[in-house]
Amino acid sequence: MAVATLPAAPSMNAASDKDPFNNNCYGTTIDRPYKLVNLPVLDVNDFNERIIRGYEEGYGEKELPADLSLARSLIPAGTASLRDFSYIAPEIPKYIPENCTGCMDCVTECPDTAILGKVLGEDEWEQKLAALPEADREMYKAQWSRTKKYYEAGKKKTGVGGMFNIIIDPSKCKGCAECVTVCDDNALKMVAKTDEIMTTARKSHRLFKNMGPSNEKFISGNLLIDMMLKEQTHIYTGGAGSCAGCGEGTALRMLCAATGSKYGEDWGIVAATGCNTVYTSTYPYNPYMVPWTNSLFENAPTYAIGVRMRWDQMGWQHKPLWVVGGDGAMYDIGFQALSRMFASGMNIKVFVLDTQVYSNTGGQASTASFTGQNTKMSVHGKAIAGKQERRKEIAQIAMMHPRVYVAQTTAAHVNHFYKAVLGALEFDGPAIIACYTTCQPEHGVADNMAGEQARLAVDTRAFPLLIYDPRKGDTIKKRLSLDGNPNKNGDWYIHPKTNQEITFIDFARSEGRFVKHFDKDGNPSETLLAAKQDRLENWRLLQELAGLR
Amino acid sequence: MSALRATHAFAADVPATLEFLKRTRWELRELRKVWVWKDRLQIFDINGDFFEIRGVGYPDAAVVPILRAINAAFDPATLHAPTAAEYKEFLTGRRYTWAHDRVM
Repeated sequence: MAVATLPAAPSMNAASDKDPFNNNCYGTTIDRPYKLVNLPVLDVNDFNERIIRGYEEGYGEKELPADLSLARSLIPAGTASLRDFSYIAPEIPKYIPENCTGCMDCVTECPDTAILGKVLGEDEWEQKLAALPEADREMYKAQWSRTKKYYEAGKKKTGVGGMFNIIIDPSKCKGCAECVTVCDDNALKMVAKTDEIMTTARKSHRLFKNMGPSNEKFISGNLLIDMMLKEQTHIYTGGAGSCAGCGEGTALRMLCAATGSKYGEDWGIVAATGCNTVYTSTYPYNPYMVPWTNSLFENAPTYAIGVRMRWDQMGWQHKPLWVVGGDGAMYDIGFQALSRMFASGMNIKVFVLDTQVYSNTGGQASTASFTGQNTKMSVHGKAIAGKQERRKEIAQIAMMHPRVYVAQTTAAHVNHFYKAVLGALEFDGPAIIACYTTCQPEHGVADNMAGEQARLAVDTRAFPLLIYDPRKGDTIKKRLSLDGNPNKNGDWYIHPKTNQEITFIDFARSEGRFVKHFDKDGNPSETLLAAKQDRLENWRLLQELAGLR
Repeated sequence: MSALRATHAFAADVPATLEFLKRTRWELRELRKVWVWKDRLQIFDINGDFFEIRGVGYPDAAVVPILRAINAAFDPATLHAPTAAEYKEFLTGRRYTWAHDRVM
């Protein structure tokens, strides 16, 4: 393939006048070279140096020639790493190391791979610090903490304490404050971006990457939440075009991390059109480090059957294949394709980003929308109070297909999420994981609320957690687990401090999509009471199936 | 560190309290939650910094317009009831949905 003449500027993967600390570069916790591919139709170096540069410098759409490289719309892996988002938010998180416990919640829940963790043995940490420029050494050293989890436990176990560092990548952070919200230790706070703060953040991020990878001696295989300390789990880089605080972004990152922890970059994704395909392939930016393809809204599982057959022909039976789609693609438009794939018994895994609405096209009702939800196709008015149908339950439908692994989870329930994903990967056959994902603009919640609302959805039976594993026995009762739901033997969760029932009405009260169902005195509408009853009936059905009733 | 940013003594004058909130609101970042005690309110932002309004609590009718002013998600039917807990917590993260004011 003919390669266009490259401009005589520093590589996009190196420091430049515009990016003096090289924050926009490949690799998440350490630097990496471009991920090359052996394809005659895609020259990664040309793409990244010419096309990405064009878009990053603002002339891409107008001045790049409409040649074959552009016309094919192929995007190399991980090009979103080169994208600069440092200008879009007025605030950025600041790390307070003395308060940090090393819980990794902030790193896990960030939708943009913009807050990163690292652990090093104290001896190697000191050596590496000594090699840093003297002017920056004390500033950076002060950002490391001695936590019980890594330092004291490490010292007890091996004689060497683990030094822990959290860093914010200022080029990828969108300022949603999800990390600050999930931190229970006051170890993060939002601060206004000033030149001084941004220079320190950029410099610190650069030094963080220069320190090399985490020392795996300090990463416990039993603590699933620690997996993002490893570079190989960062399959979903920062730089995707999702909204600030997007619940889907976090879910996709965690899906990729869990799969990457077992299979590295040796797996692939077939995506159904929706928000997820828009923000992960807004030309020319791609956050995935694994092969990814998108055909249509309705046929992703069918498309995956073809990919799986070809991979198996090539002897690639070991490679996992995920299908990713929203509730519109899986509950509605692609439902037949999904059912057909289940019936095939093929080793294909499906991950549903369930926002209960067609988020990408402006918020139309799907069959996953809750009763009463105010959407563009079920507008709340005088005659009709929002959606009048009941929500479809994809998990129950999937369970009734022969031998399918099924889970319902959320990214806020980290252990449940990871167990569900790892269980699906271990299962030799079709699997589906429906994941509750907050959509800030369509649900009517603030940018920092993805985790809070997902937890509330579970607590109020709006979206119960479940894992249905056909390997667990020969009855539904043996296969279905409702572990992780609060008060799993009762109807509603009883708040331990107030002794009050927490119901679907409480969930609805906290989101803008249901606000029209409350009168001036705060009383819920008849439709919303019907929605509450619907959620209770759904929960009781699950309890019955799990042998709890 | 979390910090108390401002205090206001409620003097049975709801408009004055709402004026206090309007005047000082910029001192907090995005609001996260409110704790309503028997005799006071604490309004928290995402950093944990807070305002305290003293002299009004969940038993009082006057607390309703104050909670509405900060977009708290509370149930007026149970708001004034006694609680076994020290305080009642309400989230303040509810927002308008995208294009809420028009039908597509």
